[in-house]
Amino acid sequence: MRLLSRRFTLASAVPMALLAAASAAPAGPVEVRVSDAAGRPLAGAVVFLESREAHDAVRPAQGIEIAQAGKQFVPQVTVVPVGSAVSFPNRDTVRHHVYSFSPVKKFEIKLYVGTPASPVVFDQPGIAVLGCNIHDQMAAWVVIVDTPWSGQTGADGRHGWPRIPPGDYRLRTWHPSLPVGAVPADQALHVDAGPAQASVRLTGLTP
Amino acid sequence: MKLPAAWRRWPSAGLGGWPGASLGGWRLSSRIAALSLLLLLVVQAAGFFVIRAGIERNARAQLANQLVVGERIWGRLLDQRATKFGQGAALLAADYGFREAVGSGDMGTIGSALDNHGARIGATMSALLDTNMSVRSVAQAEGPALLPTLAPLAPRLTERGSAVALVGHKPYQFVMVPMRSPLLVGWVVMGFELDRALVDDLFAVSGLHATLVAQASGRPSEVLLSSLPPQLPAAALADGDGEVPLGDEPHLVRSVAVSADQQARVVLRLAGSVDDAVAPYRALQVTLAALTLIGLLLFGVGSVWTARRVTRPLGALVLASNRLGQGDYDTPVEHTDRADEIGELAKAFEHMRVNIAEHAGEIRQLAYWDKLTGLPNRVQFRDAVLSAIERADPARDHLAVVMLDLDRFKHVNDVLGYASGDRLLQGVAARLQQVVRDGDLVARLGGDEFALLLPTADAALAQGVASRIAAAFEAPLTLDDQTVDLSAGLGIACWPEHAGEADALLSRAEVAMYAAKRRTAGAQLYEPSLDNGSAFTLSLLSDLRRAIENDELRLYLQPKVAVADGTLCGAEALARWQHPTRGLVPPMDFIPFAEQTGFIRQITLWMFDRAAREQPALAVLGVQRLSINLSTRDLLDLDLPDKLDLILLRHRARAEGFCLEITESAIMDDPQRAAATLNRLSQRGFMLSIDDFGTGYSSLAYLKQLPVNELKIDKSFVMAMEREPGDAKIVRSTIDLAHNLGLTVVAEGVENAAILERLQGLGCDEAQGYHLSKPLPAADFAAWALTWSGRLSVSSIPAIDAIHPRIH
Repeated sequence: MRLLSRRFTLASAVPMALLAAASAAPAGPVEVRVSDAAGRPLAGAVVFLESREAHDAVRPAQGIEIAQAGKQFVPQVTVVPVGSAVSFPNRDTVRHHVYSFSPVKKFEIKLYVGTPASPVVFDQPGIAVLGCNIHDQMAAWVVIVDTPWSGQTGADGRHGWPRIPPGDYRLRTWHPSLPVGAVPADQALHVDAGPAQASVRLTGLTP
Repeated sequence: MKLPAAWRRWPSAGLGGWPGASLGGWRLSSRIAALSLLLLLVVQAAGFFVIRAGIERNARAQLANQLVVGERIWGRLLDQRATKFGQGAALLAADYGFREAVGSGDMGTIGSALDNHGARIGATMSALLDTNMSVRSVAQAEGPALLPTLAPLAPRLTERGSAVALVGHKPYQFVMVPMRSPLLVGWVVMGFELDRALVDDLFAVSGLHATLVAQASGRPSEVLLSSLPPQLPAAALADGDGEVPLGDEPHLVRSVAVSADQQARVVLRLAGSVDDAVAPYRALQVTLAALTLIGLLLFGVGSVWTARRVTRPLGALVLASNRLGQGDYDTPVEHTDRADEIGELAKAFEHMRVNIAEHAGEIRQLAYWDKLTGLPNRVQFRDAVLSAIERADPARDHLAVVMLDLDRFKHVNDVLGYASGDRLLQGVAARLQQVVRDGDLVARLGGDEFALLLPTADAALAQGVASRIAAAFEAPLTLDDQTVDLSAGLGIACWPEHAGEADALLSRAEVAMYAAKRRTAGAQLYEPSLDNGSAFTLSLLSDLRRAIENDELRLYLQPKVAVADGTLCGAEALARWQHPTRGLVPPMDFIPFAEQTGFIRQITLWMFDRAAREQPALAVLGVQRLSINLSTRDLLDLDLPDKLDLILLRHRARAEGFCLEITESAIMDDPQRAAATLNRLSQRGFMLSIDDFGTGYSSLAYLKQLPVNELKIDKSFVMAMEREPGDAKIVRSTIDLAHNLGLTVVAEGVENAAILERLQGLGCDEAQGYHLSKPLPAADFAAWALTWSGRLSVSSIPAIDAIHPRIH
C-alpha cells in the first residue's frame, strides 16, 4: 500500500509547460535530488517550490482523476494545485466508499459505482489521506500544493524543472512513507538565472 | 510344642482335626495348601507393591503432564480472551463514526464511543492512544488508574496485541488494536480484569485448580484469585510450587509466568490433586485386591482339594499298614488302580502285604513244624495239648502224654556224624508214626526228644502204646551199612490224674521220662514220688540268686584236728543256706544244683570272701589252714586266681592260710586246664588238696605231677573201715602212698573214737568228722575251740586220750 506509483499524471505536467511558455522573464532549470536517511536516492518523493510568486501563479488543474481499480487507488499519490477538482471514477465492479478525515479536506463519497456526479475540490494546501470504508487496504494521498512547480522524484531520486523564475523559494519535500500528519520537509532554495540544484535528505521515513 | 497324640497319628486326625500353631503338626494337605497360598500371597503382595509404586509414579507423571496441558489451556484461554476483546476493540477501531470522530478530533464523541463500546464488551478500561502511545482519551471509571501501566506494556501490546499486568492488587489483561483511517492513526486499548470466571473455566476444562499470585517487589506474595474451594487454603500457593499440601491432600503445583513485568509479576499456580490422579488406579487396585482374594479362595480350595486327593489315599495306606502291623494280611490295599505315584505306592503296599503274608506263612510253618522230621514241633504240640485239655471234660475224659528221649543219641551223632544223626531221628519219627493210632499226635520236641499226645487214652492205654513203641524200637535201625540199636526212656503222664493243666502235664511226663532213663526201665508212668523236689529245684535257681544278694548263705566251719596230738590244726569252710521259708537248706540240696548251673562259682567266691574275713581270727585259735572246696567250674575259670588275689588283698589274708580242695573228677574233666589253674594257685602259696580221694579214676602218676600238698580220703572208705577190711586196706595204703609221695593225709568221716584210734595207728595226719565236731556256725567256732583246747590241757596226757573222751 505504501508502494509509490512512478507514473506522472498530466495534471502536473501540462500547467508547468504552459507557465514556462507564457513567462518571458529569465528562468533557469532547477534539479532537486532526494535521498533517504541512508543517502540512497528516494523515488516517489513529492517535491514542490513555494513562494509568494508561486502562490500568485498557481491555477487549479482540470480533469484530475483518482480511479479505483483492482481495489486500489490509482494513482496512490496525486499532486494537485490548490483549488483543483478531482473526480473518483470507480472502475471496479464492487462499490467503494471513499473518505478523507484529513483536516485539509474531509469528504466522503458514499457507496457508488462509476464516476460520482461531482468531483471533490481540494481548496486548501496540505495532504489528504484517502481511504475506502469498505476496503481497509486501500489508501491514497492527495498532496495539495499552493504552487505551479511540483513533481515527484524518479527512480534516481531526482526531479527537475526546466525553467524556474529566479527568486527565493521554500523547497518542500514529502513522501508517503512519512508518518500520518507529518509536515513536508522545508528548506530554502534560491534560484538565479542559471541552473540551480538542491538536495534533500528526508528523515523520519517509516520502513 | 508337644502336640496332642491324636495329631501325630494319621487315622485319628480326622477331617475336623485342624492343625495347631506348629506347622510341624499340620496335616500334609493343610501344609501343601498353606504353602501354596503363602507363595501366591507373596507373589500377589509383591505385585501389589510394584503396581502401587508404578501407579504412584505414573499418576504423578500424568499429573505433571496434566499441569503442562493445563498451562497450554491457560494460554489458550488467555488468547481466546485476548482475541475476543481484541475483536471488540477492533470493532471500535474500525467504526466509521469513531474514525470520523478521531479524524476530526472530536474528543467528546471519542470519549463516549470508548465508554459505550468498552461497557458493551465488559472492559474495565478503554483508551485511545495516538501513534506515539500517548493517551488521547480514556474511559470507564477505573480507566485513569490503569493508565500508568500502559506505557511499560506498550511494546508488548504492539507486538502481541495483549498482555497481563498487575495493577494495584488486581490482575488485568490488556488488548490493543491499531486504528487506521486508513493509515495508522492511533491505538485502541482495552483492559479487562482477570476474574474468577477465568480460573473456574480453566478448572472446568482441565480439572486443575488455578491460582493467580502477585509477586510485586517490596511486597509479600499475594493470592489474587483462585479456583480452589474455600476449604483448601490457596494461601499455601503464594510462595512456591512443586509438591504442596493443600488441606490434607498433596498437590502437584506448576508455576506459569503470566506477566513479564519484573517489578510486579503475576504468576499462575496450577495445582492438581495427587489423590485425584491416583484415585482411578486405586479403584483398579481394589478390584485387583478383590480378584486376588477370590483367587486365593479358589486357589485355597483347589489346593486343599488336590492335597486331599493326595493325602486321603495316604490315610488309607496308613490304615492298611496298621492292619499289616496288627497281623491282618488278608485285606487288600485300596487305591492300587490309580495311575499316579499314590497308585504306585499302593501297589508297593499291596506287594508288601502279599509278601509278608507269604513270609508269615513260612514263619508259621517254621514255628509249628519240625523241618527235619516233618512232625509238629514243641510249640504246636503244646498247643495241641492245651486245646485237647480245653476240649476235654475232666470228669469223664482222659488223655495221656508219652515223652521219649533216645539213649546214646549224642554218641551216634559223635561217631556217625550229624547226617546220620538226622537220619536216625527221621527213622525214629517214622516208627513212632507207625505205632500211633489215628488221632494221636506225634511231635519232635527238640534234639532227641519226641512226644505223643494220646487223646482219650488213660494210663493203661498209654502204657500199651509205650510198650508198642518199645517193641518197635527192638529192631535195630540201619543207617547206610551201620546198624544202630534203638532204645529210649519213655515217660507217661495222664490227664487229669497227674496234672490239671498242659505245662504241668508235659513236665510230669518229662519227669517220668528222666526217671525211666535213670532206671533204664523202658517206660515209666508218672508218680508223685518221682517228682520229689522237682518243683523245688525249679524255683531254686532264682532263690539262689537272691540268696547271695540277701545274705542268706551262712559260713559253717568243721574243725580238723591233728591225729597225733588232737590239737586243732585246721577247718573246712562249708556253706549253709538259711532259706527264708524253707529254713536251713543242707548243702546236698543246693550245691549239686549250683554246680550244674554254674552258680557254684558265685558261691565259691562268697565262701572264700567270708573265710578270708575269718581267717586272721581263726589263725589265733590255731587254725593254720582253712580248707575251701573248688568245683570243676571254678577250676576252668582262668580268672579264678586273680579273683582270689583281690579277696585276699581286701581282707589282708595270706594265701598260705588256705587249702583249696579239689575233687578228682573236677581235675579229670579238663586235666590240662585244671593243671594250669592249680599251678598258678600253688605259685601264690595256696595249699592244694585232692578231695574225696579214691572215688575217681585219677592215676597216681598223674596226681604226682600236680602241685598237690594233701590227700583227703573219701569218707565212704573211712566210715566203712571198721566193718570192711577192704576199705581199711584202702585207707591204709592210701596213707602210705600219700606219705611216700610227701603228701599230708586227711581223713574225713571220722564218726567215732574207734576210727580215730585206727587212723592214729595208721599214721594219718589229720582227721575231720562228727566225732570231733559237726560243722559249726562261724560264730560258734571260737567257743568250740576254747572248749576243745581246754579239754586237751585238763587231760594233760597225750592227746589221744583227749581225743577219745568216750573211751575213758
